[in-house]
Amino acid sequence: MENQDEIPVEPETESSTFISAYEADDWSNYKDSDVMLQQSAIFEEDAAKSPFVGDKEPLSSLEAEYKSGSPILLEKIKVLSEQYAAIRRTRGDGNCFFRSFMFSYLEHILESQDIAEVERIKTNVEKCKKTLQGLGYADFTFEDFFALFIEQLESVVTGNEAPISHDELIVRSRDQSVSDYVVMFFRFVTSGEIRKRSEFFEPFIFGLANLTVEQFCKTSVEPMGEESDHVHITALSDALGVPIRVVYLDRSSCDTGGISVNHHDFVPASDDNDTSSSAAGGSDPNPNPNPNPIPFIVLLYRPGHYDILYRK
Amino acid sequence: MTSPSASSRKALSKIATNRLQKELMEWQVNPPAGFKHKVTDNLQRWVIEVNGAPGTLYSNETFQLQVDFPEHYPMEAPQVIFIPPAPLHPHIYSNGHICLDILYDSWSPAMTVSSVCISILSMLSSSSTKQRPNDDERYVKNCRNGRSPKETRWWFHDDKV
Repeated sequence: MENQDEIPVEPETESSTFISAYEADDWSNYKDSDVMLQQSAIFEEDAAKSPFVGDKEPLSSLEAEYKSGSPILLEKIKVLSEQYAAIRRTRGDGNCFFRSFMFSYLEHILESQDIAEVERIKTNVEKCKKTLQGLGYADFTFEDFFALFIEQLESVVTGNEAPISHDELIVRSRDQSVSDYVVMFFRFVTSGEIRKRSEFFEPFIFGLANLTVEQFCKTSVEPMGEESDHVHITALSDALGVPIRVVYLDRSSCDTGGISVNHHDFVPASDDNDTSSSAAGGSDPNPNPNPNPIPFIVLLYRPGHYDILYRK
Repeated sequence: MTSPSASSRKALSKIATNRLQKELMEWQVNPPAGFKHKVTDNLQRWVIEVNGAPGTLYSNETFQLQVDFPEHYPMEAPQVIFIPPAPLHPHIYSNGHICLDILYDSWSPAMTVSSVCISILSMLSSSSTKQRPNDDERYVKNCRNGRSPKETRWWFHDDKV
């Protein structure tokens, strides 16, 4: 441990305390407070440029982004555009998976007015609450986050009042005091599910990061800004019972030469006691005569980041 | 000891006040072993007495923690410092600042004052040597203007203690 004042930003290679030559270094003119001011200025600039949840953009905006880039990516975007019409970007602040899920889910409910789905997810949210209690979390640590999510959920369906407008949903998703609380709600749900089924998740977590389930939840799930991996997605999808499709846009290409875009469907276990089928989600295409329904939440994954995709 | 950054801090938000009231109530019913909250009418600053655990280097020693809550607690971490004299520990500076990841980068709203206290006591208990961090003098000098430990970019490259 060490404070980093006046130390160059490059990480040390050894765990010695500090670099003896630093005082002669130009970096010594940079105080922590200056660096942090600069960091927060960059953050604010980012915030202005990219809100938590952006506007819907045609898929061609994605193409424009790679205009002079990899031909494989451009080919893949062309393939994507056969099925998908638009993208909605989210801020790359480490919460993009949860934020994308939040917006995508609430937008779906707002548009479909699927009351049965709302009732179904509320039952699951209740179960998640019991899970956390069973794991020893004090109610006061999570109840405000749960309440805020339920409030958002109820605001998008017709109840005693008319649902909020689509514009209002966007405003709320960009309002830190709502958006971050909902993200944190999902982090609680995800952590609870992983801990509850720690035996199931253990090998996946061990493969990702040499950590115990407990350590993983404490360091990589519960703090804000920690990025999500397939472990988080599987756990959230299972806990809430919401299928999620992730479409992968990367440079990988098939041996056959044909360009295709991979996707993976995270399909929650249909029954609480049956955790085996949820393993890594169902894979597509599914030759089963009773194929899983196509998830209404579709996220575009580019290494390190998730955005929302819209079907044609 | 007062820290200017704490006194100039914005008042607690409604949600933070509500949360802290619940947390305080829970503490009163079920305080973590070895800690005593010193009652004041200031919800935004808690002063907590810590007793070194028996059988450790700090047994029979008593210290005071000062916990200041930001406007958006628990989304933002509280500021936690020892009121000097701070325990002699390789991760605790003589001005009371504590180098512990959960107080900064690894803070999560899932944590509580109580869980933070337990982590700090465990950090004390696992110490095998009573000494200051190597850069104590330099760090403390840099904090003369009364800056908060939350304004420090910490490195946590030693998790042995």
